[in-house]
Amino acid sequence: MKAPPVSITVKDLTLRFPVYGVDAKSLKKHLARVAIGGRLSSAHHGSAEVTAISGLSMTLKAGDRLGLIGHNGSGKTTLLRALSGAYEPDEGQIEVKGRIAPLLDLSLGIDPSATGLENIRLRGRIAGLTTKEIDAKMDEIGKFTGLGPFLAMPLKTYSAGMAARLAFAVATAVDADVLLMDEWIAVGDADFQKIAHQRLLSLVERAGILVLASHDMDLIRLYCNKVMRMDGGVASPVTSIKDLDQLLAQA
Amino acid sequence: MHTAQHMLRTGRRGSLHEFAMAYADLRASVPKLGLAWSLASHDVISRYRGSILGPFWITLSMAFMVLGIGFLYSELQHISLQETMPFVALGIVFWGMISLVIIEGCETFVHASGMLSQTSLPMFTFVWRTLLRNLVTLLHHLIIIIGVLIWFGYWRTMNLPLAMAGLALTLLNVSWISLAVAISSARFRDIPQIVTSVMQFSMFMTPVFWKPDFHSPMMKLVLVYNPFFHMLDSIRGPLLGAQPALQTYVVLIVMALIGWALTFSLFALTRRRIVHYL
Repeated sequence: MKAPPVSITVKDLTLRFPVYGVDAKSLKKHLARVAIGGRLSSAHHGSAEVTAISGLSMTLKAGDRLGLIGHNGSGKTTLLRALSGAYEPDEGQIEVKGRIAPLLDLSLGIDPSATGLENIRLRGRIAGLTTKEIDAKMDEIGKFTGLGPFLAMPLKTYSAGMAARLAFAVATAVDADVLLMDEWIAVGDADFQKIAHQRLLSLVERAGILVLASHDMDLIRLYCNKVMRMDGGVASPVTSIKDLDQLLAQA
Repeated sequence: MHTAQHMLRTGRRGSLHEFAMAYADLRASVPKLGLAWSLASHDVISRYRGSILGPFWITLSMAFMVLGIGFLYSELQHISLQETMPFVALGIVFWGMISLVIIEGCETFVHASGMLSQTSLPMFTFVWRTLLRNLVTLLHHLIIIIGVLIWFGYWRTMNLPLAMAGLALTLLNVSWISLAVAISSARFRDIPQIVTSVMQFSMFMTPVFWKPDFHSPMMKLVLVYNPFFHMLDSIRGPLLGAQPALQTYVVLIVMALIGWALTFSLFALTRRRIVHYL
């Protein structure tokens, strides 16, 4: 069977966040503003907008592993969320071919009062697996967590590291073509780090495209073959990982 | 089987495009009904986690309420238990469903903010989640309904198909109301408070416990212009062997059409923004 073509095409992407302050969420304020709207200047009216990404274009094809670097608030996570399909572009266009697995937040869909097994099911369902697929993978996921009998206990009895193991195991159990990751790979103890690393590598190999946002340059060098730097919502061109030092020097 | 997916997201391209995208969201939510069901049943289970009876508390607490209010109103209004009890039982059960779908609608998007801000799941998935959660609750009440209908002998005279049609029409209406409050609650955090008090007030304005009386003109006005009366009557009437007025069906159908048209338009116009409201 021939693998389906996997690609990400982003054209002139601009994303703005309307900032709805605490004030703006109150209906009273809104109504009051409508009632006296004529007199107030537009400075008082309307919520402020923050441009998170402006004019970003890039093309990724199967085999590309893109590292996103940049300061806090430079738009890395916003770009990942836009690629996941959660944020709609204000201008431009995003086209993703392939099954997307956004691994942005380990705690997504995790219920602390439910048992480990129930959480695996729930998280798997959210990731788009069918009940059958989850049943088929259950043993493998359970084994990978290394939690054994604790899987039948509520998640709230877990230590932070154990919870992270579980979340990591479920989150990485998906068959994805496009893997979106925010920096959270460093979970668990040293033992777990090692097997987590192996699992991620195999996942990255199976996935067509990886987009990884991180501040850790060693991590970027380890997983990525391309790199893009973001600064205040403006992205540099996608370059080879060999030019990483050059890119950093420009900062 | 591994299916390739295709996602295309674009900037605004005029209202027509926004409506097309909203429709695409609705259509994409159909294959996600299974997920909505999983989330809904998980909600119900986790609410009663750790209790011995589990979700059957839903049944038990409702049974107590029905018995208590049934006896009380039978005494107060000097109407036989035979007449009061089934009326009150069905009234409370179905009113509970109607009002909870609407009240819990306020949290539909707010509670799903985690999933909405990092996955491409259709937004309608969460509307179905709220609806299905309350249908699960209704299933737990079924035992009370069946018990009452059999005990008081109404199963011989009831018109089940007509009652099901009434239930379908009611669901069609509460689902758009639920979506409308979901969107507005995400934007304005005062809405849940308003919705809760409106529903509380409506409970007394709707013949949930008391018998509707069309003789007084004032009463007639309250009933005819109360959409909840029509919803309740379209389900409860046929189960108790009565034929709801034609007016009831006209109101429900017209309200569903207009309500869905308006709410869907609201959804189409705010869809991109909802995730930023949260």
